[in-house]
Amino acid sequence: MSAVALTARRWLPPFVGFGSLVLALAVVEGLIRLGAINRFIVPLPSEVIASFARVIVEEDILHRFLLTAWECLASGILLTVFGVAIGALFHRLRLLRLACETWVAAMASAPLVLAYPLFLVLFGRSALTIIMLAFLSGLPPVILKTIEGLSATRRVLINVGRSFNLTPAQQFYKILLPSALPTIFVGIRLGLIFALINVVGVEFLINFGGLGQLINELAERYDLPAMYAAICFVIFVSVVFFVTTERAERWLRSAG
Amino acid sequence: MAEIGRLTRAVAPRPWMMPVMLLRVVIVLAVLLIWQFLSASGWFYRGVVPSLPTIAGALAKLLSGGDLYWNLWVTIDEIAIGLAIGGLSGLVAGLVIGGNKFIAAAFEPYLYYLGPTPKIIFFPVMIMWFGVGAGSKIAMGAVSCFFPIALNVAAGMRQIDQVLIRVGTSFRANPWQMATKIYLPAMRPAVINGLRLGLGVALIGTLLAETKLSNRGIGAMVMQAYAAFDMPRMYAILIVLFALAIGVNALVARFGGLDAIERK
Amino acid sequence: MAVPSTSNRVVPLPQADAAILVVDRVAMRFHTAEGGVSALDDVSFTVAPGEFLAVIGPSGCGKSTLFNIIGGLLTGYDGRISVAGQKISGPHASIGMVFQEESTFPWRNVVDNVAFPLELAGMDKRERIERARHFVSMVGLDGFENRYPAELSGGMRQRVSMARTLASEPKIFLMDEPFAALDEQTRLLLGDKVLQIQQQLNQTMLLITHNITEAVQLADRILVMTYRPGRVKRIVDIMLPRPRTSEIVSSELFGRYVAQIWSDLREEASRGMIDDESRVLHAGECRP
Repeated sequence: MSAVALTARRWLPPFVGFGSLVLALAVVEGLIRLGAINRFIVPLPSEVIASFARVIVEEDILHRFLLTAWECLASGILLTVFGVAIGALFHRLRLLRLACETWVAAMASAPLVLAYPLFLVLFGRSALTIIMLAFLSGLPPVILKTIEGLSATRRVLINVGRSFNLTPAQQFYKILLPSALPTIFVGIRLGLIFALINVVGVEFLINFGGLGQLINELAERYDLPAMYAAICFVIFVSVVFFVTTERAERWLRSAG
Repeated sequence: MAEIGRLTRAVAPRPWMMPVMLLRVVIVLAVLLIWQFLSASGWFYRGVVPSLPTIAGALAKLLSGGDLYWNLWVTIDEIAIGLAIGGLSGLVAGLVIGGNKFIAAAFEPYLYYLGPTPKIIFFPVMIMWFGVGAGSKIAMGAVSCFFPIALNVAAGMRQIDQVLIRVGTSFRANPWQMATKIYLPAMRPAVINGLRLGLGVALIGTLLAETKLSNRGIGAMVMQAYAAFDMPRMYAILIVLFALAIGVNALVARFGGLDAIERK
Repeated sequence: MAVPSTSNRVVPLPQADAAILVVDRVAMRFHTAEGGVSALDDVSFTVAPGEFLAVIGPSGCGKSTLFNIIGGLLTGYDGRISVAGQKISGPHASIGMVFQEESTFPWRNVVDNVAFPLELAGMDKRERIERARHFVSMVGLDGFENRYPAELSGGMRQRVSMARTLASEPKIFLMDEPFAALDEQTRLLLGDKVLQIQQQLNQTMLLITHNITEAVQLADRILVMTYRPGRVKRIVDIMLPRPRTSEIVSSELFGRYVAQIWSDLREEASRGMIDDESRVLHAGECRP
């Protein structure tokens, strides 16, 4: 098949996907203008697009974005440090691991964010509540993946370390940890994604913070186009974050 | 003779004394003790960390009262309908995407990248479209669970061992037979996994929506306790909620896992 | 020393009406990104009823392509395939296929796996279970009817696949390297089983393989193929006695057949290896 045909084949599906989206928006626009859809429930897509600029300038979106980012960063650092440490501890103390690993797995499936009213009482309506919730939600995957990665270290590598008479600490830092790093990073990535979801979600729910709070505020003000624009912006940020961490994971995997 | 008797007696294990079980009991007891200590210490603002007997009392009161079960029924109802709507549409979407490479290349990225976003931010939109009643909560649940189910079904379809499809073709199975006797059984583990994840996020989505805007359901109960600063009651409700959530998750995993036959 | 009755060229289609399978000037070309690849070129042969024909060739000679074409899973080829006088286009009731890969349904137990073709045909449950049991017994898996494939060994799973295909009672039993993943001893023993079944049912069998010992052990005639594009290089009549068992592998005649076939195959296999190596070299050069 010719090179041109191959290029076309590669780009046709994304083009069709994007094209369908544009087409759907155009149909919605048409239906609203015709009055088939109530414009007080669904704003005109064109208005939403137009309000992007307004939202960015008026609503101080940079500041809000940084606030959300800072909350994500804080909870991200916490869940990485504690998650890897606890995971390493579980790996080292086999009895502890056997006792608690299923509990951690259960915690991973527990809807921790539902306890946000409790956290509100404990930490007040502040960034601390948000960070704590995001930290605890993202913790289980890091712990589980750390355990998994350390346990999966190839037997032969451990034996190499023993043949060089490495101390347990050296064994951990020079052999186990590097070998486990790709899997650990998968866990950190999962934890970060959970953290982001919870940060924005809780910001919305408790009406405090950056981007999540913006959506809540715009909803209460009934500024529909701006609200839809803000939602799109949050989706955009979330997608960029997701893709970035995916690329980083792939890069780490190939380099390691 | 006496030795043989001694030997057989020593071999029988006692599960409640096994080290793992012991450690778990110790950890749980330690946590409870620390809690009680913190509660009695007065370091925290009054009532934020209630004593264990207070919580136990509130739990008993909650379980014996009528309004827990009524609200629970409301929530379960909302989750079930949301899961049905999101699950069915997710199943169809997953089948379409999994079955056709072009459609998958065109549309699956949207599902894949939209999946890990905080769906609760769509709630104001749901309220506008479906009202302030159960409709918006059901919609939240449906939107939440659509993505993991669709993605898992699509992945499940793609990872069907191709040779099994060739077997069906070589025996001239018609499309209906191919679908029911080969595709669906082969996809079963993936579908169950998708349902498990979907149930988890539908639960979260519906409950969060209830906490934000509702006067019925478990989420609303939590917010009412919060508003009244009835901390023991809030703890009690949360305990019941978490126990149910974890329990249901374990049930679905076990129910699905029992029948899933893995190849060696 | 000459080995009895070999033919040097493609056997002209003899009494085509007596043959149960006629492969007539089949050729297949695949279109890839780099251009076209000719997998098969002018392959013609026949199979008589009750005969066991083995098709042997090096990797890359198009054997699996031939298997898929005869089985009806591949279209777009030149030439013609006919079974009992009828032209084939697509999967046919008279052809049964056993694939190289694991193909048992992991969610069905042994007897339900074997009953699959009967289920498709609409046979009622009691009858099809009974018939399936008959074929389960034929492959020597009595007592394993209710086990699941995950509980069985690789060889046992392949037997289940064979029983499943036998249950559809095809005129021609087509196998694509079914024992490739098994160890040598298991392979020899299963070969015995296959011979037993062929004897019992007077089943026409077509075996695709790369294993010379296996081909000589099982076949009445062996078709040696060239490396890509696959053509018929030689057809060898195997005049070893029937009924046969795996003990035949120690006979002198067996050894001579193997030697002769290897001398034909060796050339083709070397061409294949050189081709592989040059492809890897070329790919290495193209990388930046």
